[in-house]
Amino acid sequence: MEQKNQDKYLVSTFFVFFLIHSSQTGIGLLSFQNTIIENAGHDSWISVIIAGLSLHIILWMILKMVSNPTKDLLKIHQICFGEKIGDFLSVIVIGYFLLLALTVFRTYIDVIQIWVFPMIKTWELSLGLACIIIYIITGGFRTLTGISFLGVVLPSILLVTLYFPLQYANFRNLMPVLDHSILEIAQSSKASSLIYIGFETLLIYFPFIKYPSKSAKWAHGALAYTTFIYLLVTLITFVYFSQGQLKHTLWPTLVITKIVEFPFIERFEFIFIFTWLLVILPTVCIPIWCCTRILKKITKIKPRKSLYTIMSLILLISIFIDDRLKVDALGKFTSEVGFYYIYSYIPLLFIIFSIRKSKLKSSEY
Amino acid sequence: MWNFIKQKNNSIHDLFEELSKSDDFYQFSTRSVHGSPIYFSYYKSLIDEKKMHHHLLPYIQSAEKEFEELSDLMNVIPIDEREITSDAKVFINKLTKGYIFIHLTKTPEKGILVNLSNGTKGYRDFNDAENEYSVIGPKVGFVEDLDTNLSLLRRQITSDDLIFEEFTKGSYSNTRIMIGYIDGIANPQHIQTMRQRLEDLDMDVIFDSSILDQIISDNSNTPFPLFMSTERLDRTTYMLLLGQVIVITDGSPYVIAGPTSIFQFFVSPEDYYSPWSIGSFFRLIRFIGVLFSILATPIYVAVLTHHYAIIPQDLLTPLIMSRANVPFPPLLEALFLEITIELLREAGARLPTKVGQTLGIVGGIVIGQAAVQAALTSNILLIIVALSALASFTTPIFKMSNTIRTLRFPLIFLAAIWGGFGVTLGLTFILCHLLRLKSLGTPYLAPVYPFRYKDLNDSFIRSSLSVTTKRYTFIRPLKLHRYNVKKHKDIEDDYNNE
Repeated sequence: MEQKNQDKYLVSTFFVFFLIHSSQTGIGLLSFQNTIIENAGHDSWISVIIAGLSLHIILWMILKMVSNPTKDLLKIHQICFGEKIGDFLSVIVIGYFLLLALTVFRTYIDVIQIWVFPMIKTWELSLGLACIIIYIITGGFRTLTGISFLGVVLPSILLVTLYFPLQYANFRNLMPVLDHSILEIAQSSKASSLIYIGFETLLIYFPFIKYPSKSAKWAHGALAYTTFIYLLVTLITFVYFSQGQLKHTLWPTLVITKIVEFPFIERFEFIFIFTWLLVILPTVCIPIWCCTRILKKITKIKPRKSLYTIMSLILLISIFIDDRLKVDALGKFTSEVGFYYIYSYIPLLFIIFSIRKSKLKSSEY
Repeated sequence: MWNFIKQKNNSIHDLFEELSKSDDFYQFSTRSVHGSPIYFSYYKSLIDEKKMHHHLLPYIQSAEKEFEELSDLMNVIPIDEREITSDAKVFINKLTKGYIFIHLTKTPEKGILVNLSNGTKGYRDFNDAENEYSVIGPKVGFVEDLDTNLSLLRRQITSDDLIFEEFTKGSYSNTRIMIGYIDGIANPQHIQTMRQRLEDLDMDVIFDSSILDQIISDNSNTPFPLFMSTERLDRTTYMLLLGQVIVITDGSPYVIAGPTSIFQFFVSPEDYYSPWSIGSFFRLIRFIGVLFSILATPIYVAVLTHHYAIIPQDLLTPLIMSRANVPFPPLLEALFLEITIELLREAGARLPTKVGQTLGIVGGIVIGQAAVQAALTSNILLIIVALSALASFTTPIFKMSNTIRTLRFPLIFLAAIWGGFGVTLGLTFILCHLLRLKSLGTPYLAPVYPFRYKDLNDSFIRSSLSVTTKRYTFIRPLKLHRYNVKKHKDIEDDYNNE
C-alpha cells in the first residue's frame, strides 16, 4: 500500500486553493489575450468562461482518481497499466512537467530581456533564478506551499492596477455580444484552455494534503478564482484595446500597466514585471518538485541529485533557446502538449481507471 | 580539575595538595574550648569572610564539649546549607561554589561542607532595561544574578504553576541554567525539546544566554534570531503567559524564549500600555520602518543604475542635480555612506555614552555635510541612508535590528547587478529563508504562514484587549483562553440614556 506521508510534512487543506491557483497563473496572464482573439474576436471572453468551466470536469476526474484511498499519479498508472508500463508512463509525465517549468522559466527571462534589460545574457538571469528555485525546492513541500501562498497573496496588490485602464474604457468594444459562430467560440476556448494548465500537478502532490477528502471545494474554488481573474483581465483588455490594436500588441497586460502613474513612479510595468517573479516561481517550482518526486518514487534517485540534474538541464536548454521566435515556438508547443494532456490523456486515464477499479471491486467480492 | 580526580581517583585529603597550588586556597585550624584541632579549607575569593567570622567560628570555638563525631560538629553550625561528604567530586564542586570544608583530625577523608558563598558580590543590583527602553510601563530589567531574576519573576507570577528546572552546563564554568514555563499553558513538547537541547549542550564557559541561543537554535547559519531575547521583566512574563519556554542563564541579564515568530520581534510592551489604536499605529510604523530600512538604499541604487525611466520627470531633475557632481556610480556612493553609518554606530556602541553622543553629532552632521560638499555623495542619498538607519533602530529587539541592518548590504549588491530584478530576487530569497526557518520546531513566519487567521488580531496591529482574549495558536498552548471580558451592558444597549 501507499505509505502515509508523515504528519509534519503535510499542509493544511485550504492551501490546495493557493497551490492550484498559483500553479495556473503564471506567464500566460501577460500575453494570452492575442492568442485567444484569433477566432472569436471580441467574444472570446465567453471562451475563457467555457474553458474554465470545462476544466471543472477534468478537475473532478482528477479528484475522483486520487482520493479514496489517497494516492498519486504513479499509483494510478500502476493500477491501470501494471507496474512496468505504468512506471514508463510516469517517466513520460516527467518530461511533460519539465516542459511546463521550462516554458515559464524561459518566457519570464524573455519578458525581462524585452522589457527591462535588452542587453543582459540569458545565462546570467537563468543562474539567478535557478539558485532561488533550488533553494525553494530543497526546503521541501511546506516551503513550496508557503511560496505559492505568498505568491498569491502578495502580488494581489497588482489587481489594483486594473483600475487605471478602466478610466479609458470603451465598453462598446464588447458589442455585439455573440457575434461569432459556435465553432469560432469553441476554437477560442481551445486556445484559452492553455492558460489554465498547470493544475494537473495536483495528481502528484495530493498525498501531501492533510485532509484530502475535504480538498475538493478548495480545488474547485481555486479554479473558479483563476477563471474569474482571467475573465476580469480579458474584459478589461477588450474594453481598453480595440481588436485591431490588440492583434498587434504582444504583451497586452504589460502594455496596460504602462499607463499606471503615481507622483513618484512612472513606467509601472517595471514594478509589475519584478513582482511577477513571485507569481511565476510557484509555476516553475511545483512542476520541478513533481519531477523530483516521481524520480524518487520510481528510480530511488535522491531528490537532491535529480533536482540539480533537472535544473542544469533547464539552464542548458534555456540558453540554447536564444531568440524570440524559439521562445514563441516553445510556448506554442507546450500549449499543444498541455491541451492534449489535459483533455485527452486525463479523461482516457479516468475511463481506464474506472473500469479497472470496478473490476478490482467485483473481484474482491 | 576533573581530570586529575579521574586519573588518580584521589581522596579528599590528597586533593588538598593540588588545590593549594592556587594562592587563594586557604587552610587553617582552630580548636574548641577543650578539644583537638578542627581544620578549615576554602577559596578566600569565593566565601564571605564576615559570615565566617560572625556566624561560624564563634559557635565552633565556644563549644563546651569535645567533638567526637562530625555530626556533633554539624549540630553547632547555625547555617542551613551544610552537609557531610566524603565524595571528592561533590567536594570540588561545592568548594568552587563558595562552600567551606571543615574536618577533624580523626576524619581527614570526611568533612562538613558549609555554604558561605558571598552571593551577588560583584554583580550590579538593578538594571533599568536601558537597551529595551520604554517610556510608559515598568522599567525593571534583569541583572546578571540568576536568583535575583528568579525572584523578580516569582514576585510577578505568584501562581504555583510557574515551574523552573535547573541544569548545570559548562565544563569549566558549571553555569546554572534554568528553564521556566507555566505548567498547564506551555506545550510539553516544547518543554521537552528545550530540555533535550540543553542536555545535549556542551560548552566550556557559558558567558551569556546569547551563546546558548546560537547553540540550541534550530538553524545556526541564519542571520535571524530564532529565540526571543529580552532583558525586560514584563516582556518575559508576557512570553511565559503566552506559553513560551524561557531560559535564564546565570551571569546573563538576557532571557531567551522560544518558540517565537518573527512578528514578535517587532512587538514592544509599550504597544499594550497605550490605547489599542495608538499601539497599533506605532507597531505599523515599526513594520514600515523595517521595510524602508531594508529596501530604501537598494531601490535607490537599482533605480539610479538601471531604471532611470521609472522616475517621473519632475523628480528626476532634483535627483540629477544632486548627483551631477558625484563622480562615483550609485553602488560606490551608497556603500560609502552605508559603511560610514555602520562605523558611526559601531564606534558609538564601543564608547562611553557621553563620548558616543558627541561622536554621533560629529559623525552625523559634520561628515555627512562635508561628504555632500566634497561631492562624494548626493544629498538625497544622505537623507535616505540616514532615514533607513534611523528606521532600523525602531525595532525593539536589538538582535533583530542588527539583522535588518545587515540584510541591506547583499541587497545593495544585487541591486547594482540586476537592478529591480536583483532586489526582488534578494527579497524572495529572504522570504524563502524565512519560510524554511523554525523556532523550536514551530514555523518562524507564523501566523502568516502557516496562516492562522485567529492570531492576526495581535500581529501587524494590536487589537483591543477585549478582542485578544485568546493566546496565539501557533505556539500551541494547552489552554487558549486568557481572560474574560465583561461587557458594560447599560452603555452598550442604550444610546438615549433612558
